[in-house]
Amino acid sequence: MKLVWKLLRQHISIPQFLGFFFANLVGVVIILLGVQFYNDYKALDNEDSFMKADYLIVNKKIGALSGLTGKSNAFTRAEIEELKNEDFVERIGAFTPSSFNVKARFDVEGFVNFSTEMFFESVPDEFVDVKSDAWDYQEGSNEIPIILPKNYLDLYNFGYAQGKGLPKLSEGILGAMKLNVQIAGNGNNDSFDGRIVGFSSRLNTILVPEKFMQWANQQYADGEAVKEPTRLIMEVNNPTDDRITSYLQERDYETDEDKLDASKTTFILRVIVSIVMVVGMVISILSIYILMLSVFLLVQKNSTKLENLLLIGFSPAKVSFPYQALTVGLNVLVFVLAVVIMLLVRGIYLEMFENFFPDLQVPGIWQALVVGMGLLVIVSIFNIIAVYGKVMSIWKRKD
Amino acid sequence: MNKIELIHTLPNVFQSRTDIVSDIWNQDVTFEKGKKYLVEANSGTGKSSLCSYIYGYRHDYQGQILFDGEDIRRYAVAKWTDIRKNHFALLWQELRMFPELTAWENVEIKNKLTGYQTKEQILEWFDMLGITDKLDAKMGRMSFGQQQRVALIRALCQPFDFLFVDEPISHLDDTNSAIMGRIMTAEADKQGAGIIATSIGKHIDLEYERVFNL
Repeated sequence: MKLVWKLLRQHISIPQFLGFFFANLVGVVIILLGVQFYNDYKALDNEDSFMKADYLIVNKKIGALSGLTGKSNAFTRAEIEELKNEDFVERIGAFTPSSFNVKARFDVEGFVNFSTEMFFESVPDEFVDVKSDAWDYQEGSNEIPIILPKNYLDLYNFGYAQGKGLPKLSEGILGAMKLNVQIAGNGNNDSFDGRIVGFSSRLNTILVPEKFMQWANQQYADGEAVKEPTRLIMEVNNPTDDRITSYLQERDYETDEDKLDASKTTFILRVIVSIVMVVGMVISILSIYILMLSVFLLVQKNSTKLENLLLIGFSPAKVSFPYQALTVGLNVLVFVLAVVIMLLVRGIYLEMFENFFPDLQVPGIWQALVVGMGLLVIVSIFNIIAVYGKVMSIWKRKD
Repeated sequence: MNKIELIHTLPNVFQSRTDIVSDIWNQDVTFEKGKKYLVEANSGTGKSSLCSYIYGYRHDYQGQILFDGEDIRRYAVAKWTDIRKNHFALLWQELRMFPELTAWENVEIKNKLTGYQTKEQILEWFDMLGITDKLDAKMGRMSFGQQQRVALIRALCQPFDFLFVDEPISHLDDTNSAIMGRIMTAEADKQGAGIIATSIGKHIDLEYERVFNL
């Protein structure tokens, strides 16, 4: 085979192969980066780690009329049933409001002294994406896990603390502190420790575990019947589905606009990434075209040698092998280098991401690897077949 | 392979000609393993066509060519590769050597494929033919007569049932022609193979079973 290679490497044009190599490298890097960036971005989008992306929160509109007529803005059981039966809804859960008084105090010696009336709500645990032991309430325990709206922290940091010259608080610091919670009602008055599990930018409420809510509502409610829920949380299979919007509009329901905006951003990003990937694909296809042209040219220039090899008893497969190995080798090299470059570029943008979202959990690179491998295999098979076909045309003396 | 049969074989280009007088074209001819044949021809009578038909790289003929009774038109690529590697050695008139390689490499590339001859045997042939000093010379720099000798050695580097030599001595002196004849005969006899030689004048001296006029 060494001698065959010595023969067939004649007329190999290094500039042509370098041209292919770099063009294809650019194409494959763009494709891999597109896949990887999209995946990484999706992780950013899910930055609210307490709620999965495809949850929508629905409530009834409060209009001037409903205020006057005293018409309830709570959902009846029939309405919830109806919503549950829509096929765009995967799961649905109700917000349970607290039927007792809550007073929270937050004090750090000499630092902040903060006391406020507030309320609790809960949703079924399956909608809260926190490790189960952190989101568990043991009956009789003095400690309640709480998720606060991120807005509260922003209000404090950028409004209150700014105005009063108080120190700003980070999520981390707050998480380590205890909130003193006084719960009163039904003739009882007890004190609890609120442990802040996290801040949610999606949930505009103060969330406690459902188990605690059930227990506390029994314990402290002033004999009132359990209230009907005013807000629902639902998981939908596709948040961009038009039917959701029209369904909600027909019934005068509202949903959190942010979520739909985020979906739009994701959608636009998906379009942009797709365009970029198509560009990468085009570059790759063109470069593969260059490769095929230069291999064909090489076969043409060496056709006498190839024909003589075939005539002295070499099989077409044996004669094709050096050029097949050459192209596949180049493809593998491109793939490996493209993955390395992708990892380097990813390192740079991930660093930027991490400045904004320190707790960012990024996905692995396997998807990009699978795409790259897929390209490698498809292109290599194509090359192998094309070279063999060219050699066979010499065998059949059809050039 | 024991038998090559030509049954009313005629190159397509001769189709319209009615004046063909030939012992081979349009006749039924059989070449048998172990025997030696000479095909004498004038220019333009289709000698090279005959080579290319029975070596499977041209099919522009009518009639049939059979190997052991099998029509070679139906042979697949793998079958031809096997025939060229293991059953049928051909010394082309135009030699088909690789000018980029040395004389030794030209032989070696074939012998590596078949693994048939020992290095000693090959070197002995180089010596017998008086071209040992050309072992490492680039083929392209050698004279046609020298190349012819290397081409014969390459042709012998495989097992064969037939050895087809197309004007093997066109550029050789009588001494070298005689040596070449001895080498060919010895190797063919050793393998029990047949020899088909062609010539357009000067022919290599062998004990021919039959002489055809093409």
